[in-house]
Amino acid sequence: MTAPSDSRDASPSTASEALVDGGSAPEQAAAGWGAVFLTTATTVFLAELGDKTQLAALLLSAQSGRPAVVFLGASLALVSSSLVGVLLGRWLSRVMPAHQLERSAGVVMLALGLWLGRQAVLQGGLPSLPLG
Amino acid sequence: MLALLASTFATVFLAELGDKTQLAIVSISGTSDRPGAVFAGSAFALVLASLVGAAAGGSLSSVIPTEALQLAASVGFILLGTRLILRSRGAEAGEEPTDP
Repeated sequence: MTAPSDSRDASPSTASEALVDGGSAPEQAAAGWGAVFLTTATTVFLAELGDKTQLAALLLSAQSGRPAVVFLGASLALVSSSLVGVLLGRWLSRVMPAHQLERSAGVVMLALGLWLGRQAVLQGGLPSLPLG
Repeated sequence: MLALLASTFATVFLAELGDKTQLAIVSISGTSDRPGAVFAGSAFALVLASLVGAAAGGSLSSVIPTEALQLAASVGFILLGTRLILRSRGAEAGEEPTDP
């Protein structure tokens, strides 16, 4: 709860309530720490398996024969990158009105979903996938 | 050892910047009021995914049906995205946004 922060809107009550309440979806506001954790973890884990990050990790661990070091390096990088992502999201929520950010985020997620689905279907058909 | 650590870090970090996962994290974090939970959840999932990858070695795709998992993830993304868009429309209709 660090951000009743989009005070750029003229109407203080509606702006902060939009962030907390989401207008019409109180279940999101009511979502506790555990629920947010689980949603994020599930989504990210499913999306990330079989991704290029993993392929890179696989390659490195295969070449070096030191999977523990590779794992440590990859984990540090992934934690850093998710920290960057979280901070970027917090920053956006400060500089953009809540409803506008929600719409943009929704569009991004829809696009990611369609792209992932397409990739999954293509991957099912192709035996190998290039490390892009 | 340090060189391998650094090269792994650099490779994975650069591969991950601007990746779909990070876009998803930005989206979730921007629209949720629990950045700590989002960070913990995403970091945990990413580390777990790379642990699975490192442990399985090259045989990952023969052990895990990655296409099916990605399909599940895509359905999840579409649901989350739809809900966010509906929510933003509801908020817009409800409170008359003041555009600058």
